[in-house]
Amino acid sequence: MSGVVVHLPGSGGGTGEGPCDDAVTLRLGPGEVARFGRGSATTPVELRLADAAISRLAGEIRVTDDHWQLSNHSATQSYLVENPEGAGEYLRVPPRRAGAPIPFEFSRVVLPTRGAATVAFQVFAPDHVYLDPAGADGQWGSRTLPAYSLDETSRYFLVLVALCEPRLRDESPVAVPTTPQIVERLGSHPACGALTARAVSSHIDYIAEEKMRIGVPEEQGPRREARRNGKREAIVGIALRFGLVREEHLALLPPRPGTGPQEWERAR
Amino acid sequence: MRDPAGTSGSDRTPSLPRGYRVGDWEVTEPIGAGGWATVYAGHRVGDGPGSAEGQDAVPGGTSGRDVALKFLPTGGLAPLQARNVAEAARREAELGRRARHPRLIRLLDVVVLAEPGHPYLDGAIVLVMERAERSLRSRLATGVTEAEGARLFTGICEGLAHLHRSGWVHGDLKPDNVLLMEDGSVKLSDFGLAAELTGDHGTHGYAPPMGTLDYLPPERWKAPLGEHGVRVRPSADIWALGVMIHEVFASGAPPFPGATPVSRGAAAQEYADGRTPLRMDDAVPPFWRALAADCLAPSHAARVAHTAESLLARIAERPVVDGPSDGRSDGRSAGRSGGQSMGEVTADGGRAADRPPVHRRSGTRAALVALAVCGVAAAAIWVGAYAGHEDTSGTPAATASADTAAAGAAGRVRVFNAEQGCRTRTDRVPECSLGLAIDPLHPYTIDNVVPTRVWHGDVLAVDCLLPRGMSIIDETDAQSADWFRVRLPAGSARPTAWLPAVRTKDRPAVPECPRPTPVR
Repeated sequence: MSGVVVHLPGSGGGTGEGPCDDAVTLRLGPGEVARFGRGSATTPVELRLADAAISRLAGEIRVTDDHWQLSNHSATQSYLVENPEGAGEYLRVPPRRAGAPIPFEFSRVVLPTRGAATVAFQVFAPDHVYLDPAGADGQWGSRTLPAYSLDETSRYFLVLVALCEPRLRDESPVAVPTTPQIVERLGSHPACGALTARAVSSHIDYIAEEKMRIGVPEEQGPRREARRNGKREAIVGIALRFGLVREEHLALLPPRPGTGPQEWERAR
Repeated sequence: MRDPAGTSGSDRTPSLPRGYRVGDWEVTEPIGAGGWATVYAGHRVGDGPGSAEGQDAVPGGTSGRDVALKFLPTGGLAPLQARNVAEAARREAELGRRARHPRLIRLLDVVVLAEPGHPYLDGAIVLVMERAERSLRSRLATGVTEAEGARLFTGICEGLAHLHRSGWVHGDLKPDNVLLMEDGSVKLSDFGLAAELTGDHGTHGYAPPMGTLDYLPPERWKAPLGEHGVRVRPSADIWALGVMIHEVFASGAPPFPGATPVSRGAAAQEYADGRTPLRMDDAVPPFWRALAADCLAPSHAARVAHTAESLLARIAERPVVDGPSDGRSDGRSAGRSGGQSMGEVTADGGRAADRPPVHRRSGTRAALVALAVCGVAAAAIWVGAYAGHEDTSGTPAATASADTAAAGAAGRVRVFNAEQGCRTRTDRVPECSLGLAIDPLHPYTIDNVVPTRVWHGDVLAVDCLLPRGMSIIDETDAQSADWFRVRLPAGSARPTAWLPAVRTKDRPAVPECPRPTPVR
């Protein structure tokens, strides 16, 4: 539990998809606050949203426990907080609402602007705590818990299970699936119909950097691809070693396609 | 979410019938269940050689016949989980074999069940251990006297010192894992997360990524997970010890505020990041507050000076209490009010009950006390020293405004005295005091220091860092030209002074100071 990550896509991207030259990423620890808005010399903000329709101080984010709170300083506008993984799940934070708790691990905060356009930024709360399945008797206060808990209903967890699948099925002790293989493997999952290669890569980065905080050694290799593979292998090795992904999780994956890449076929 | 395998915790924990035989032992009744294990009471069957009072006689226990059977089922688990359980059992057995000590629960036997007819029992690992009467957790609600607390923590520190000396970190120290024997003696237990110290200097080990939220040191929340697990150091046990000291003397109240372990964990990080001061319960007697505050030093670097050995020595040398004295019944419950330094409190702590608070001063500390009592912001400089709040000034506002002043600071540093001998003293003798400079660009001489002195362990509110000041070399030849601008108590001739960066192990992220204009 080390706080939340706020990401404002660069003006080029808009939704975080494009290349982001002026993207902003803030990391906030428990108790820390980031203000957002148009900002000015007298109204400093940590997250500058350059849109004339947004007030100088539009609101603030405060990290509380393992989640965060959103205060809406606008007197007239509601803000929306969407859960991009939640099949339409969202919260409306009305004008002048102070400290609305946000329960999502992934959030997209949407501020209305003039016309149909919106301004949005993302907030990740990677430190949500989950109970150990073996000790679900409600009494968790003084219990020993896994210190790295994962949301087993999330898309990143599906990606993680897919990464670990060959090793879990004792197929290949070395090969870790590539991004295209994962896209294909999860393609028939109802929650992952539109999963792109880019999304898979960012899920892997999220697991490595925010969830497990894996430090990939620099001397892994000069090529970017080599580093990526090192990261994947590290994720799989750690997830299996510490039981973050177990055989029972294979049930989360869609049934194996009959016509998959060779790696998947060999298992039969 | 539903468990994908369709099993629940209870499915995995079959109960053993009374009379079930495990090796030479027989199950009597269940006495507790944890995440992966169920613990049963048991006793040795028959009285063959070595059964009672023989080589297996257990110090602290009565007969050596009574045991605890820690039952770790593996049969209902997937292979990977089973491997983790076996790994925990192996660690526990390994530690039990190599680090035997009267303050560690003794492992008597390890039995692997072979029950082909019972899939849940087959392959289960049973650790046979000496049986305790109760855990420290069960004592928390009732509170303890200082004398009783000293006895408990002496035992805990003895066990911990032995573990650390033997090259192990406990990794899950908490009141549930501190057991009290029938004769009242203390023993540490549950070494399933223990890590053996490795590395070139044996400074750290690796443990599985598990822990109990209320007892995790703040650095652990940000610790990376590597292929061997998460790095743990003995200072993690010292942090947990600090939490326990507070809990024991404050009737179970944790030192950090919050309704859930998660929010208390967040509060611990806020404290460690210098955004909030440490606020301990007034029920914790002064000596123990000082001890807990040192154990709860915000970073590994600041905590490393406090070892189980040094804490044990401090407990042994603590001022003798005349008769059993209850920390909460001696008139100190009036509430914290004076912003006073920790060392102050510590020096007289043990005898506090005998005299009215106002007379608890000795001459050598008079100047400092005057500052502490008269200044509203007295505590601003002694941020972390809240540990030592006592009823001195009778102005509760002092603390609140001091907190506010401290909260405005950019960060905090804990003073570090390179002299080993001064680090274990808490009586704030002049020889162990350190100075603060008036001008960090001038030679650090007697006429370039403010009257206020600081001692090892004091926590100072910092505004900013000045690089390239006068270079300072300390007693261990550590050298730095960096200086921290620190706040002085209100009433001082100057609002701030300068602490050489060699005088602290902390490196808070604070802004760079503007170049000071020469003072003289």
